[in-house]
Amino acid sequence: MAASIQSTPVGRGDAWWARLAVTAFCFTLFGLGGLVLGLAIFPIYWLLPGGERARRERARRTLALAMRAFVWLMSSLGGISYEIHGAARFGRAGQLVIANHPTMCDVIFLLGFSRDSCSIVKHQLFRNAFTALAVSQSGYVKNEPTDAMIEHASAVLQGGQSLIVFPQGTRSRPGEAMRFHRGAAAIALRAAEFITPVFIWCTPVVLGKGQPWYRVPPRRPHFVLQVGEDLPLAPYRGERPPPVAARQLNQHLIELYEARLSAGPLH
Amino acid sequence: MQSREQIHDMVRDSLAELFELDPTRIKLDAHLNDDLEIDSIDAVDLIDRLKKSTGKKMTADDFRSVRTVNDLVLAIERLQAS
Repeated sequence: MAASIQSTPVGRGDAWWARLAVTAFCFTLFGLGGLVLGLAIFPIYWLLPGGERARRERARRTLALAMRAFVWLMSSLGGISYEIHGAARFGRAGQLVIANHPTMCDVIFLLGFSRDSCSIVKHQLFRNAFTALAVSQSGYVKNEPTDAMIEHASAVLQGGQSLIVFPQGTRSRPGEAMRFHRGAAAIALRAAEFITPVFIWCTPVVLGKGQPWYRVPPRRPHFVLQVGEDLPLAPYRGERPPPVAARQLNQHLIELYEARLSAGPLH
Repeated sequence: MQSREQIHDMVRDSLAELFELDPTRIKLDAHLNDDLEIDSIDAVDLIDRLKKSTGKKMTADDFRSVRTVNDLVLAIERLQAS
């Protein structure tokens, strides 16, 4: 027994080398896939005829398919395992989906499992040659802390789309206090029918902030995504002025996430 | 045409109500962000409110360089003169 313990270096169990290889392979494929989509598929889409709505749906379907394929590949090769509960409740009109953001994979899961949803994405993606066509054809909202962003996102919700936002803005670091940008709360109060919170756990954390892809964790990372109960917004509307209500709602959301995330997934 | 003083009163009342602030804090030299914790996310609501109070059309671009309450008063004065 002692020999087998020694043959497994500390922190490198659970088929570590195989998972490193799978991760490297998947990352390469992800990069190549992005290249093919960005330099071939989306430019072709751009040339195809169709109204704004048809283009948007086509672009979103393609991205969702690519993300689903990536999740399928990563999990069937054993790089990660995951469970997602309540995905059928994505994609409803006027729905603001919010989620915590522990790893780079969150976006891949949410875009992959939600049908025809809009998303607020990093503004850099609109200037990157590989991603610009994909995000603009998908009709995504450019993230800037401005009134223009709030108004664009509100118009998306009022137009009957579902919108995905990560209120933390950037990936969180473990142990850090939960901080939400108030933009999500402000958008919700202006234009959403309700908020659907998604709680994401990843243990051990993989592809977290400042964590390079090759730092594969000692155990196979397991993702749990739970779609929570819809939060009605009526209690926040009308009683107090919108900027004060947005601060209250934001604080409520932070407390909800702190409580749910520390309690762990519901069974 | 409102005097600068009237505009200041209107701005003070609007800010006090919209952000539930003590009106005595809304001095001309008060910094919107640092002193009153009003940021760019609040701009949409603030502009909605000022549009109602003044009856003038305005956009966020009219307020790009506004930092203090005084800047806000001057910006509204300029809009009313135009």
